[in-house]
Amino acid sequence: MIHIITAENRHLYRHALMEMHIQRKQVFIDDLGWPLNADSGIEIDAYDSEDAVYLIEADAPRAPVTASARLLRTDRPHLLGERFAHLCDGAPPSGPDVWEATRFCPAPGTPRGAARRSMLARMIAGIMETALIFGIQRVTFVANAALEPLALKVGWSASTLGPAHRAGRERVRAMAAEIDANGLRRVRVQNAILGPLTRFTPGDLVHAA
Amino acid sequence: MQARINWSFAEACDVSTSVEDVQTAFMREIRGLGFSFAACASHVDPLRPPQGAVMMVDYPRPWLERFSAKRYAHRDPVYHTAKKQALPFQWSDLRFRSSLEPDQLRILDEAASLGLRDGFTIPIHSPGALPASCSLAIGNDGVDPLKVRQAHWYAVYAHESARRILLATTPPERPLLSKRERECLMLIAQGKDDYAVSVLLGISEHTAHNTIRRAMKKYSVSTRMQAFVRALRGGEIRLEDVAD
Repeated sequence: MIHIITAENRHLYRHALMEMHIQRKQVFIDDLGWPLNADSGIEIDAYDSEDAVYLIEADAPRAPVTASARLLRTDRPHLLGERFAHLCDGAPPSGPDVWEATRFCPAPGTPRGAARRSMLARMIAGIMETALIFGIQRVTFVANAALEPLALKVGWSASTLGPAHRAGRERVRAMAAEIDANGLRRVRVQNAILGPLTRFTPGDLVHAA
Repeated sequence: MQARINWSFAEACDVSTSVEDVQTAFMREIRGLGFSFAACASHVDPLRPPQGAVMMVDYPRPWLERFSAKRYAHRDPVYHTAKKQALPFQWSDLRFRSSLEPDQLRILDEAASLGLRDGFTIPIHSPGALPASCSLAIGNDGVDPLKVRQAHWYAVYAHESARRILLATTPPERPLLSKRERECLMLIAQGKDDYAVSVLLGISEHTAHNTIRRAMKKYSVSTRMQAFVRALRGGEIRLEDVAD
């Protein structure tokens, strides 16, 4: 299942979040060679904060993390707005009903091919479910050459926001996907996902008056 | 991500006249961040430290006894790795574990069985000091990843303070940092990378990078966090400079 982690419940997921950050270091820096910062021993950047929404796939809050992704509000500082705006023909889509998805991270050792495609489809279904809960209508993301074709045929309505550009050793392109019930249904049907994947466990409401 | 300058911690360290006082202040902050145990120490036998060794440790006693009896200071994979690299590492990092010999993996297993299951080690390379590091163990309740950088600077600051007391020296007078260098170091301590620093200060990424390198060079240190701590301890970054 995919756990939705927000400021409200992140104290229940400290182990999972720590594991996600170490996996991000292993996958993005050690394996893919992205020029990211790991000077505290994990991959964590200026956009990681309590305001980010994390999706972490694990059988239980303390079970091994099998995949993760990060969702950022676009009315706050985010990657497409600040670092990848040049990938968009127009202004990067932003606003209270637009999220940006970043750091799609399969656990190290996830086999290439079908296992990864299936992980990505589950994560996209999880993003759509979460976005629907939060009233989000569009999700933007930056896709590399491996992600782009998968994102285009996974079942949601996705489109490109501009031409592909070189970024280090990769070619990347800005994309946006519409969030609606029909799209979610198509993603589920096309990828043999039988029902909702996400879970939200509320934190203790210790501050409730 | 969140990291802030904790002035009362810095002051408590600065006015301490015994390593025990630094240790008390350090352990209080580290526990407050959620870590279960800490060892900010020179790489020596923890129960028979030589003169001049830093030893601020609250690890479980059974582990310290075992570590001492088996002379693990010579084989401990955490010490070995900390000696070779400048940046912190997490004990479950595959890159760290894959470089180890079987007997070293056994040391990690033994430590895990005595309550030191996972955590971070922050190498501390300081000219003229014994090899040292600060290890921070993560207990059952976990530690929020957003707290890691904060722990990093507490560790470096506490070690520097302990060294000051052991050597009975005052912070060395160093060439003053430029305003730009100070600004860069403050942002670095908050977790900003070169790009974020360049945007916030309206300079190029290249300039930001070189400015930080220059500050590190002035202090002869190997990490950005050490440069920040030196600047803070030397009074180059002051409370009134930081608009929180």
